[in-house]
Amino acid sequence: MSGESNSAKGGMKRRDFLKVLGVAGGTAAVASGCSEPVEQIIPYVIPPENVVPGIPRFYATTCRECSSGCGLVVKNREGRAIKVEGNPKSSINRGATCAAGQATLQGLYNPDRVRSPLRWNEETRRLEPAGWERAEKIFAEKIDSLGPGRVVYLGRDFSGTYEKLADGFLKPLGGKRYVYETFPYEPIRKANSIVFGRNEIPTYRIDRADYLLSFGADYLETWLSTVSNSMGHSKLKEVDHGKTGQIVYVDPRSGMTASNSDTWIAARPGTEQYLALAVANVMISRGLNRVAPGPLAGTVSAYTPEKAAAMTDVPAETIEKIARDFSASRSLAIGGGAANCGSNATETMVAVNILNYLAGNVGGTVDFSDPLSVSNSDGFSDMKKLVEEMRSGGVDMLIVHDVNPVFTLPGELDTAEAVKKVPFVVSLSSFLDETSELADLVLPESTFLESWGDYSPKKSVTGIIQPVMRPVFNTKSAGDTLLSVSRRTERLKNVFSEKKYYDYLRNAWKKRARALAPQKPFEKFWKELLVRGFVERRPAPVKVSLSPAAASVSFRPPEFGGEGKFHLVAYPSYRFFDGRGANKPWLQELPDAITTSVWDSWLEVHPDVARRMRLKDGSYVRVDLPGGGTFEAQVFVYEGIRPDTVAIPIGQGHTSYGRYARGRGVNPFALLPAAADRLSGAYSPLSTKVDVTSMRKRDLLVRTQYTKVQGERHVAQTVELDQIGHDDSHGAHKGEHRDFYPPKEYAKYRWGMAIDLNKCTGCGACVAACSAENNIHFVGKKQIARRREMNWIRIERFFEKNPDGSLDVRFLPMLCQHCGNAPCEPVCPVYATYHNHEGLNGMVYNRCVGTRYCANNCTYKVRRFNWYTYKFPEPLNWQLNPDVTVREKGVMEKCTFCVQRIIYAKDLAKDEGRLLRDGEVLTACQQTCASGAIVFGNLLDEKSRASVLSAGDRGYRVLEEVNTKPAITYLKKVKQERV
Amino acid sequence: MRVLSVVAAVAFLAAGVCLFSQSAHSGDEGPAQPVLFSHKIHAGDNQIPCQTCHSYAEISRYPGIPSVKKCMGCHSYVAGRDVEYTTQGGQTINIRQEINKVKGYWSRQEPIPWARVTGMYGHGAAGLPEHVKFNHKRHIKRGFDCATCHGEVEKMDVVYKAKDMTMGFCISCHEAKADDEQHKTELKDCLTCHY
Repeated sequence: MSGESNSAKGGMKRRDFLKVLGVAGGTAAVASGCSEPVEQIIPYVIPPENVVPGIPRFYATTCRECSSGCGLVVKNREGRAIKVEGNPKSSINRGATCAAGQATLQGLYNPDRVRSPLRWNEETRRLEPAGWERAEKIFAEKIDSLGPGRVVYLGRDFSGTYEKLADGFLKPLGGKRYVYETFPYEPIRKANSIVFGRNEIPTYRIDRADYLLSFGADYLETWLSTVSNSMGHSKLKEVDHGKTGQIVYVDPRSGMTASNSDTWIAARPGTEQYLALAVANVMISRGLNRVAPGPLAGTVSAYTPEKAAAMTDVPAETIEKIARDFSASRSLAIGGGAANCGSNATETMVAVNILNYLAGNVGGTVDFSDPLSVSNSDGFSDMKKLVEEMRSGGVDMLIVHDVNPVFTLPGELDTAEAVKKVPFVVSLSSFLDETSELADLVLPESTFLESWGDYSPKKSVTGIIQPVMRPVFNTKSAGDTLLSVSRRTERLKNVFSEKKYYDYLRNAWKKRARALAPQKPFEKFWKELLVRGFVERRPAPVKVSLSPAAASVSFRPPEFGGEGKFHLVAYPSYRFFDGRGANKPWLQELPDAITTSVWDSWLEVHPDVARRMRLKDGSYVRVDLPGGGTFEAQVFVYEGIRPDTVAIPIGQGHTSYGRYARGRGVNPFALLPAAADRLSGAYSPLSTKVDVTSMRKRDLLVRTQYTKVQGERHVAQTVELDQIGHDDSHGAHKGEHRDFYPPKEYAKYRWGMAIDLNKCTGCGACVAACSAENNIHFVGKKQIARRREMNWIRIERFFEKNPDGSLDVRFLPMLCQHCGNAPCEPVCPVYATYHNHEGLNGMVYNRCVGTRYCANNCTYKVRRFNWYTYKFPEPLNWQLNPDVTVREKGVMEKCTFCVQRIIYAKDLAKDEGRLLRDGEVLTACQQTCASGAIVFGNLLDEKSRASVLSAGDRGYRVLEEVNTKPAITYLKKVKQERV
Repeated sequence: MRVLSVVAAVAFLAAGVCLFSQSAHSGDEGPAQPVLFSHKIHAGDNQIPCQTCHSYAEISRYPGIPSVKKCMGCHSYVAGRDVEYTTQGGQTINIRQEINKVKGYWSRQEPIPWARVTGMYGHGAAGLPEHVKFNHKRHIKRGFDCATCHGEVEKMDVVYKAKDMTMGFCISCHEAKADDEQHKTELKDCLTCHY
């Protein structure tokens, strides 16, 4: 066609040009019909055993995104991992995953992974590629030249066989291994050691509790095993015969978890301990305790509700009520988050332990028989010591493995400078993060999805890690690297007999198998292990008694550094955790539950403060920290925070770590002082008071939802517990029930969904799962600012008011409602969207011409338009689901109810000559939902779970009054009397 | 205007050549292949059933292209006659030499880069676009003969696209073969193939 455009430039009239264009276009079409460009089709040379193109294979493995150790089943198509699901057999996560688990594939296929070994070139001052052979030789030579005790290994919690290998590697060198977890929950361990004589973190069984009292523990976001916690939360929230559990959350800020509680109590930061002690005081003085207090009676006697009320800003009646309810139910008190981050964190956790002890929860909801492995990590004081040692030249070789202390340790320690003082730094990480960047040698590790291994997240469970595909890049598992390097050294060459980590692992398991299944041949045991994904043993019950030290704790008031007006809460983000998730675009583009902000940091301030300082959403402020640290951020005005507190999420502010992470937002770690909790020495970032100054400028704080309230539209509805079944307000079943057209008839299926708003926590795992399943592209901050996000499912968030004026945060997953009377259908000029015989609102991409009439007419704003042909950079595109069309520019798209899954399941059912059974098709959002809030099924089948739930008393359809006849029934969130 | 007439002439010529070549299926008008693999010799003369090589057709959406190993499964023993062979299109080849090409790929452990004739997936112009999902398994299980869509492959030296495989071609069959009205609705539903 370039010929014509040249002629056009040469002075041709527009009309002539169009004529030529018409003929030439025809020519091109005819000509291409004649000699089609040849596309190659490449078969296997040797087909892999049991791989049938088009039929997925599933491999069980264990997630290593955080320390929870959830079981995973990874779907592999034609040799590529394309989807992560929870392992339904795992007792930790029962088939669910969190958003970070869903996004783990974007770590595997991350274009910014280290693709081959790198070596620091002193001349070019850059890390440059080196072959494995050469890199390992350099490492080996360095090891042989080391003096005794001069090597430090800094890795995360690897509880399992790898630990033994690493220790075996270090022992002849006199090296020391540190287990560094950014959030090691030291105050909890220390408090357990003081009160119960056990320096560990038990399993907190939320699923066994009816009454949960959380002191800042963001158990749905980052606190311990979040998927497991979410399942417990969902069980607690179950409404049965007019009864349901209750959650009270004490924190200066109402984050996602607090927003899912029945009552949020904004106690003064650092005073949580007094609230807990006063509750204990009431329990003892009223005789509500189930276990004799012993010496604890004296400990708590001074903390009367009245006294505590003055210290905490919580009314005495509230404290009394909590004490009564707490002792009357199967209760559980937990502590974490802000309460775990002050100068008196351990004291606060001791107070929490006292509550659990008095209520008789120890051995019930507090299960010490099954401690978590994160208990084994080293503390903040160890890290400080290590950094000092490095700075003073006490370390000759540092091996960093999958940890990023330069980013996550407080800026005051200046970890980067200390690391630079170490003569030889080896990184075994998969990514060039702030720490690995400083390495002299990078021996990139294959991710856990490409490696063999095992991990024990808690005493009762050991998960196997098996490769779900071949390594994407020229990487090795850390185990293989250590074995291979040790063979090249003089000092370690005889330490290990195995050449491959796989053999080392199997040999370790051979020993275990003898104990676990003495009768079974090992190969059989091993095969079963790989299929199942984990072994589980019921731990022996342990007897826990009160330690005499418990009564000796004195509860000192919190100390805060700095003279500022505001407490600064830096909270870990459920999307990025300690920052490790920031390189995954799905997580960057997953809107934060509270702010719905994407690709950035923000500062939460109370409306009163905003009014006083003339701030609005998006206003820039400068925050000054003691010690000269300062950062700028945009404001999010939020009622769910105390007026004397401001909050910022952790995870952004990377200066390295790849294109998606670098240069976005603020890293609070870098600015915070290295303050420590008095008793445990734990890092206590909440000991800082800051000043906030308006910068007198404002820009859009990019979010996916700018409205904070729902007005009179009653989108997210609630019902009082005692009104269930008697309540017909808010337009429940208020549809017109009159139609211009005859009713639609369905023969076999009418697909629909029931979504329980009482269970939905707003965690966004469904959003990430949907992106993974349906090839949904991320679009970046700029496009989102133009409202061009592509997610097919979103979490709507509304800030409503309880009758008493307190904040009522509601979440509602919104996706295509597959309306029986869809407004999008009649306006499409080309029949690209239509209602099919199974009740699906079909979207035919190849018919769509992109008028966008449908999106304009959609009542629920769930249709998404491709403004561009978005391209995943290689190899992120390897993740694409081959069963779903990749859409291009100019095409509308939206939720399909995972029609590819329906069709796949129908194909299998047809082989057996039957219809689909209930529960056979799980949509991606449903499958990953830890709280089981989403149930998909056939509404024609009255017995299907979706039908039963939809017909329940709490069911309503969003904007039913406009007569769209949605296929999705929402179950109202249940409200109960607040404390 | 000169430009216009030149373009028009080229268009006519191209159209003429095309019409001529598409009117008769007697030559080797399928795409040239790296090895002149004759379906006529294999499926016709030697009566090897389709699914011996396209072995996934009954169990998967994709029929499968045989691996080089599969070729060698026979051709380790079948060296082929050292004779000239003239294809329907008039190309003359030596059978043993063509088989030796396969052996060459095997000894180099390389896949044979076949040219796609009637691909049903992927983006190529030769095959159907990605937004069409065709399931071989369902059609074979329903009892369709491969020839219904692929033509008399056993008579082709060089395989060509025998049916046009447009949506009309699919729909005409989906309409005709439906058991009843309900089934017809199901078979004609857009989401049957487009998702």
